[in-house]
Amino acid sequence: MKFIIQRELLLESLQHVMKAISPRVAVPILTGIKIEALPTGIKLTGSDSDISIESFIPKEEDGLVHVEDIETGSIVVQAKYFPEIIRKLPLKTVEISTDDNYQMTVVSGGSEFHLNGQDAMEYPQLPVLHTDNSFEIKHDVMKEMIKQTVFAVSTVETRPILTGVNMKIDNGEMTFVATDSHRLASRSVKLAEDFVHIQFNNIVIPGKSLAELNKIIDESDDSLTISVADNQILFQTKNLYFLSRLLDGKYPETDRLIPEVSKTSVKVKTKTLLQAIDRASLLAKENRNNVVKLETRDNALQISSNTPEVGQVTEDVITDHIDGEQLKISFSAKYMIDALRIIEEDNVIVHFTGAMRPFILYPENNDHILQLILPVRTY
Amino acid sequence: MQRFEELEHVQPVAVRMLKQMITNQRIAHAYLIHGDSGTKKRAIAQTLALRLFCQETDTIEPCLTCRDCKRVISGNYPDLHWIKPDGLSIKKEQIEALQREFTYSGVESNRKVYIIEDADLMTVNAANRLLKFLEEPSQETTAILLTKNQQQLLDTIRSRCQVIALRPLSGQAIEQALIESGVTPENARLFQAVAPQLDQAKALDQDEWFAEARKLMVQLMQLLIDKPEEALLFVEKNWMNHFDDRDKLLMGLDLLLYWFKDLMYLHIGDIEHLVLLSYKDQLEQASLRYRRIDLVNILTAITQAKRKLNQHTHPTLVMEQLTLQMQR
Amino acid sequence: MTHGYPKNGRVIFHVDMNSFYASVEMAYNPSLKGKPLAIAGNPEERRGIIVTSSYEARAKGVKTTMPLFQARKLCPELVVLKPNFERYRKASKEMFKLMAEITDLVEPVSIDEGYLDITECGSQGTPLEIANRLQQRLLNELDLPSSIGIAPNKFLAKMASDMKKPLGITVLRKRELNKVLWPLDVAEMHGVGAKTKEKLNQLSIVTIGDLAKADDSQLRRVLGINGVRLIQRANGEDERLVDPDSVFDFKSVGNSETLRQDTIDDTVLFSLLRKLSVKVAMRLKRKGYVGETVQLMIRYHDRKTITRSITVHRPIAEVDDIYGLAIHLFETHWNYDPIRLLGITVQGLVEKQNYQEQLDLFHYKEHLKKEEIQTVIDNLTSKYGYNPFEHKTQISTPHPTSEEPTTSFQKDFLDDYTKDH
Repeated sequence: MKFIIQRELLLESLQHVMKAISPRVAVPILTGIKIEALPTGIKLTGSDSDISIESFIPKEEDGLVHVEDIETGSIVVQAKYFPEIIRKLPLKTVEISTDDNYQMTVVSGGSEFHLNGQDAMEYPQLPVLHTDNSFEIKHDVMKEMIKQTVFAVSTVETRPILTGVNMKIDNGEMTFVATDSHRLASRSVKLAEDFVHIQFNNIVIPGKSLAELNKIIDESDDSLTISVADNQILFQTKNLYFLSRLLDGKYPETDRLIPEVSKTSVKVKTKTLLQAIDRASLLAKENRNNVVKLETRDNALQISSNTPEVGQVTEDVITDHIDGEQLKISFSAKYMIDALRIIEEDNVIVHFTGAMRPFILYPENNDHILQLILPVRTY
Repeated sequence: MQRFEELEHVQPVAVRMLKQMITNQRIAHAYLIHGDSGTKKRAIAQTLALRLFCQETDTIEPCLTCRDCKRVISGNYPDLHWIKPDGLSIKKEQIEALQREFTYSGVESNRKVYIIEDADLMTVNAANRLLKFLEEPSQETTAILLTKNQQQLLDTIRSRCQVIALRPLSGQAIEQALIESGVTPENARLFQAVAPQLDQAKALDQDEWFAEARKLMVQLMQLLIDKPEEALLFVEKNWMNHFDDRDKLLMGLDLLLYWFKDLMYLHIGDIEHLVLLSYKDQLEQASLRYRRIDLVNILTAITQAKRKLNQHTHPTLVMEQLTLQMQR
Repeated sequence: MTHGYPKNGRVIFHVDMNSFYASVEMAYNPSLKGKPLAIAGNPEERRGIIVTSSYEARAKGVKTTMPLFQARKLCPELVVLKPNFERYRKASKEMFKLMAEITDLVEPVSIDEGYLDITECGSQGTPLEIANRLQQRLLNELDLPSSIGIAPNKFLAKMASDMKKPLGITVLRKRELNKVLWPLDVAEMHGVGAKTKEKLNQLSIVTIGDLAKADDSQLRRVLGINGVRLIQRANGEDERLVDPDSVFDFKSVGNSETLRQDTIDDTVLFSLLRKLSVKVAMRLKRKGYVGETVQLMIRYHDRKTITRSITVHRPIAEVDDIYGLAIHLFETHWNYDPIRLLGITVQGLVEKQNYQEQLDLFHYKEHLKKEEIQTVIDNLTSKYGYNPFEHKTQISTPHPTSEEPTTSFQKDFLDDYTKDH
């Protein structure tokens, strides 16, 4: 293998793939970065086995030459040293070559490094994904979907499947659902016409992977291509591949758990309610569930909280309207704040079905978002 | 040894059983392979893993040359998890990490294998955790537990595994293993004769008491030839001091037995079976001093002495009597 | 007999620390003394609210739960701090230690107030002398101001401590009720909130005096049994004892039992666990508590003892819940050695009525069903006067056990406070 490459580009690519590399992995080869010289360009791969990131530097792009003198080949080098070396080299270009004994030589200006590498054949084989079940979605929509659901995944491993986000595609609509069993967040989006044939049900993507993906894709209206294999999912931007293992197991059926009827419906300013809950939660932080109480009044919601050691607080939030039964309900301020924070619309609709049943929130005139919260039972 | 064919020489029954299961595609969810050290537990586990992951083979053997095989051998195959004791035991955290791993789909396919070495060293907590997922096996997961002390494992674990008992090593195999581990061929012959298990045989290499015992034995034999009148005193003063309990005395008698047996082998010209190879010169000289009938008598006397010791006859008495019998 | 102690009656103190958090902060950083100080949830944010404030701040009109910006308007030089609960808990512990030096009968009510029954403390001086000494020690040793109410019962002591702040000592005698207590607005009364006041006012009950003379049955109709209690209190009657075992010490309930002989027989062990679960459940029910943690103690034949616990986020009080978790712990942790003793404790107790349970999406329907059944049972129980579904459960007891009876673990919260003897 041999090539000459623009140092800045190599460094940028390295920074991408380094995000997937962890020093503590069970598989020794994963402490390294895989470098492949292909006729079309250079591909770097980093992985901690849960997620893998591939970054591609094309030989030429928009008439600019990034890589020259490519002799194809591949190698795995220690992630601990390689990026630092590239960062500190003196010139704008770097020449990288390897020999048959997996020795890598890095030359830039007068400096020459020799690094011990390993056979790239030792590196995990990432799945080959078929394009017939891939589809596209805009970057910013994907980022929204992640932000609006991933906070609700479970962080405890007692029910591992709930640490992931359930991706469903049916009838041209893609839905993300996340729940830690105390609250649930759901967001859906219509896919472009070309993808109506795509159907998925039990795809569960680890919450951690999505959070990582969100950091990597930029806010733009570029397209992200998503493909699913048996055991991995691939998110692909122009020059970046992000792969994640899936969670193994059956995601619980959540649709039938979402109440369809409402006994008390409220329309209220999102910000006003959020701030009132936030204030009330100040005094609730000492109690275990961070509980605030909500009580319907004629045209207001009374938000209160009481912690004997600290004090108590009451606040009335004027609503646009309240329909239905009177209601007194307690819930975790944290869950409510999380749910309200992701709603950007001015008004939020809340449907209650009793003090012991889940209630749902969604933005006015937007049924793509649904937040569900289980109340706290007081005796 | 990475092929069933080679392993079959050492463990014919176990390997044939595994091969049968592979042929019939009846791989169990969990195996418990138990046997003394040196019985090729790890090699068998690895070969099984190789065969399960190898995608190039169409025979009973893994191809050993494909990318998957190479990575199983180098430890880089991401869906093979090999657990070893962390210090003196296998800790709860190690099993928890494994548990977490199994909530994910596989990295390359959905076939996963985990091998737990010295499974008897799992803490109670770790064992109970393992039990949880032995109880709910997933389709394509295979557990391979290895142990030297299978009776130390929880019954509940054992009962969920297909148990594969490895046969003890032959003396020859132990000798070979000793030589492979760096013991001199001369010592290897003696150690395997003295100790029935590889671990014990290996330990003799570091055993100062045993080294001294050998020295005393040779000294006594030399005295019997050079100054037979001092032999009795030597036994009283030195021998009885060093061999100070019954087990040790029995070991001393065994050494004497090997000496005279070797003399016998020399008499009949069979040097293949010599045990005390390190003392070949001394043996050859000594063999000239004994008639075959003398050797038969002495061997009988040593055997009788062993019996007497086992019947709790006074040790000094037994040894003195034997010394006189060996003086002719 | 020492002067100041009644012939037949009790002497109760109510000790109430003055603006406790602010005082602790001042004790911690004396340069804050004399300055208007407030503790607020989130001082960096304008919309943070006041949790408590010093008297200097109160003098400027700063009130609890007032938004910070409003307080700053009233008192621009206000010093604002974040609450530091660790610090407050430590101070609280020290202050209860001082009280425990006077008597064992100390009942902590909250982090900064408690009752003492000093009826038997004649040897230490008159009640007034004892109160003075306690107040001085709190001030000198801990730098914390307090107000003490002295009265024949808890209610009056509480009312008395409220009358002079800071650093007051107030004696409230029954014969002074009409002069001291009765002219006050009912809202001043401990136990009367905004709602109750509203209801009382509707009945033309405005002062505590009005309440004292109110009609029993009328009030019972409006306020239930609480109404009757309020009338009694207004008349200066309160029979509640100072109970060191109340709120705080009640953190756990447990039973243990030694087996007649060391055993590995799991039928014997399981039935002992069952028996212990029944006992613990009974005690919890009697006290009206639920917990979230079950602890199992195993003592082996060689006296090696392990305790292992499990915490769940639901209220544990029923036999089956306790037994289920105990069995789980037992199966996870028993190493198959012979066992001499088993113990089960339920920990993290709270009064059932204070228990908050976060409901679960996948189980709330079961919960609702249970709730419905319970409502039916409760209705029938009140109709028949007994629970028609309850039957005496036959518990298979392991062989009648040794001389050693089942023992309750005593976990005394006040251990922290009582002096070493």
